Amino acid sequence: MFRKLLTSLFVLSSLMVLSVSVASAQETCSADAPCDIVVSQAFSDHRGDWIADVAARFNAEYPQFNVIIESPGAYRAIFDNYILAADSGGDTPEIAQFFEAGLEFATDSGYFKPADEIIAGREEVLGQEVAFDDIIPVISSYYSIDGVLTSVPWNTSISTSYANMDLLGSVGIEEVPSTWDELIATCETLQPLVDAGEIEGCAAWPFDNWFTEGWLAQMNQFLVDNENGRAGRATEVLLTTDEIVSIADFYREMYRNGYYVYTGTRRDWGGTRALFGQGQVAFHISSSASARNILEDANATGFEVGTGFLIHNDDYENNGNVLGGATMWITDGLDPEVEDGAMAFLLFLNNTENSASHHTASGYVPIRFSSVELLQNLEPGNELFWDIETSSRIDIEGSNWFETNPNYLTGSEQFAASNVNNAAAGAKFGTFRETRDIIEIGMEEIMLNDAEPLPILESTKAELDALLEEYNLLYVGE
Amino acid sequence: MFVISPLVITLAMALAGAAVFYVLFRAHAMGTRLWALGGGAAAGAIGTQVFMQPLGYCSFETERLADPETATADVIFGIILIAVGVLLVGALVHWFISRVSSGQRVIPRPDFYPGTFTSRFAPLLAAVFLLPTIITLIVFHYYPLTQTFRVATRIVRLGAPRTVFTCMNNFIGIFNDGYWYTLFITVAIAVGVVVVGMSIALLIAQMANQPIRGANIYRALLIWPVAISPVVAGVLLQLLLNPVTGVVNHLIEGAVGVRVPWLGVMPWAAISIILTAAWNQSGFNILFYIAGLQNVDNELLEAAAIDGANPFQAFFRITLPLLSPFTFFLIVTNTIYAFFHTFGVIDVLTQGGPARDTATAMYMVYVVGVESKNLGRGAAQSIVLFVMVVGITILQFRSSRDRITYGV
Repeated sequence: MFRKLLTSLFVLSSLMVLSVSVASAQETCSADAPCDIVVSQAFSDHRGDWIADVAARFNAEYPQFNVIIESPGAYRAIFDNYILAADSGGDTPEIAQFFEAGLEFATDSGYFKPADEIIAGREEVLGQEVAFDDIIPVISSYYSIDGVLTSVPWNTSISTSYANMDLLGSVGIEEVPSTWDELIATCETLQPLVDAGEIEGCAAWPFDNWFTEGWLAQMNQFLVDNENGRAGRATEVLLTTDEIVSIADFYREMYRNGYYVYTGTRRDWGGTRALFGQGQVAFHISSSASARNILEDANATGFEVGTGFLIHNDDYENNGNVLGGATMWITDGLDPEVEDGAMAFLLFLNNTENSASHHTASGYVPIRFSSVELLQNLEPGNELFWDIETSSRIDIEGSNWFETNPNYLTGSEQFAASNVNNAAAGAKFGTFRETRDIIEIGMEEIMLNDAEPLPILESTKAELDALLEEYNLLYVGE
Repeated sequence: MFVISPLVITLAMALAGAAVFYVLFRAHAMGTRLWALGGGAAAGAIGTQVFMQPLGYCSFETERLADPETATADVIFGIILIAVGVLLVGALVHWFISRVSSGQRVIPRPDFYPGTFTSRFAPLLAAVFLLPTIITLIVFHYYPLTQTFRVATRIVRLGAPRTVFTCMNNFIGIFNDGYWYTLFITVAIAVGVVVVGMSIALLIAQMANQPIRGANIYRALLIWPVAISPVVAGVLLQLLLNPVTGVVNHLIEGAVGVRVPWLGVMPWAAISIILTAAWNQSGFNILFYIAGLQNVDNELLEAAAIDGANPFQAFFRITLPLLSPFTFFLIVTNTIYAFFHTFGVIDVLTQGGPARDTATAMYMVYVVGVESKNLGRGAAQSIVLFVMVVGITILQFRSSRDRITYGV
């Protein structure tokens, strides 16, 4: 009996020793036992298929790694999931896609290792060229803190106006409205169509604070103090300025007159896009990244789309618009081999060809100069266009993508037209993600009740300032 | 530095406790009165420490009271916490002295009847059997509860490297930010869910209880919504109620030519939530009402019919009073559902909007604690919500104690 027990104990312990040695052997990545690199990103439509295809290409080239694309939800869900997992000591993905509003928090959190630190002066990582100086400076500088690139830029967009040119043409308007007043005048002209029940309304767009941020930038106004938090840490949200009030008043006027169709949900990107895509409204504001989707919708319904810069306040000269989108952050404390694998994947994801292809798949601007050049000098066999139906890459026809697809150029043109200053660069502060929600709620209250903006903005500001003060207290100790 | 020193507060509360207990036990023998004096003083002194010791008497700090904006609220909160602590300890001491003075054992001896297991080790055995439950309660309920209190007194952000003690600021802050509206809409939605949900359920149960062909199938089908989680119920109703693309508005527009802004405008947003939650809860309510109706004695109804009562009189005078235990049980469970479980419905249907007009107290805990990552403020709000629900439940038990008929 005792001997039996001893024998089984011996067998058990030797099994354990064996499994431990197998586990430690796994730490070196090989084709037989590839290391997993989990990428948490926001896209679940064809743009998600696109990155899954890139991951498959990478995995084929680097059999020692297994890049897994996950899409747990929108930007906010990735952000919140990551913090919850990190805070409770759970599993975090090797790479997380954090949106632009997460920049300061992501650097304060200590969860991630800055991209420049991983590169450590190398010109290539596992054979993938770094060439960060090829990235358009507006983008790389946005995500650099004190000259250190924090994360690898991937999807970059800019808010863009979309118009149904057939509807506008039917009332004799040939141009996409470029200012608030022009939009209001257009809506006035279109009102008979609305009254006759032919269309749902004049305009619909997601009630998203990102557009408010764009309008502030256009008016050369900061969202937070210390020059949008770029000359020092922000300590208050500038929510009672004339510029913010003018935005609130614009929404009030649009809603009061029935020009702005409100679906009842604040960030209703899908619902408002559907209204525009089905020809139910004539004007839509969205991200340049939705260009592909919107143009496909319009094509299916059968109308022509015109694009323009984000409409701006007529009383101010247009200073430029803020960027949107996200960057890829690599978790700190990874095994050096996995860390290099993750960086190699991100460099591969953003190389000249892939960045150009990503642009055609979505409308996100090509983030490299070389990608723009490539799209202007195409050769047969380029395999850059993302075919949604077959989920594969096919050739772009012709030699210049932008010539045949002028709506895709609007985003890059808008970046080029923006002044380089801290207002157009956009805000940087720790509670940016929460602030967006809370400003939207205040603005929604003003719009729906046609309320005087200032009292509501003042109480919203108090709430935001308290949050920011607490954030700074906990992270900086000020 | 303190405006009033903790020692003075403790001594004052000890004196007050002694005085109150002396009055409470003034009719008792001299020995008991002396016990009462001592016990009262102890209750006052110890009760004061229950909350003030962990808080370090922060409500009475000179620096804090220098801020005129929060000074009054600080002192009021301090006094309330001391009072609650003293009442808790006082109740315990009062019970103890009462039992001892009336010659009863402090821990009552169980009634023995034939077949009771008796042994010297019986209490120990009982303790062993109770242990798993007690451990579970401590680990998953009581410990988190004390942590909630701790977090509520600090500035805590999810993921932040440190926390900062902030005394009662999180609580004071609650009542400054339009929280009264939140409480109002919470109660309004709860009343709506309870009243609408239960009256419709009773009506349907009454109909489903008729002896008709296939009654069992109808009953089973009617109970089904209970199997649907609030989130799924919300998603279903969101598709139906969507102001622009929903089926409901399509039908209404076809019939009367107007559209109802179900989700984006008050009071329709609140009505949408009430209807969805009432429907989601209807299966549960119908189930219990059908069970209740099957317990109503037919002879009573027949006797009433012979005496000339019409069906309405029979329903309101006989059936409804006999259902009162069910109604009471359902009011309690529906209230709790309306306070806590409508969260899923709200998050899917309106996300608390328009603005924060349909954000109930529970939803605000999420908005503040998770969306804004302000865990301290979220914890404070959840304590307020907890106290509210406990209060309402006690009130319900008190007010309906005499009106419930358990059997004939």
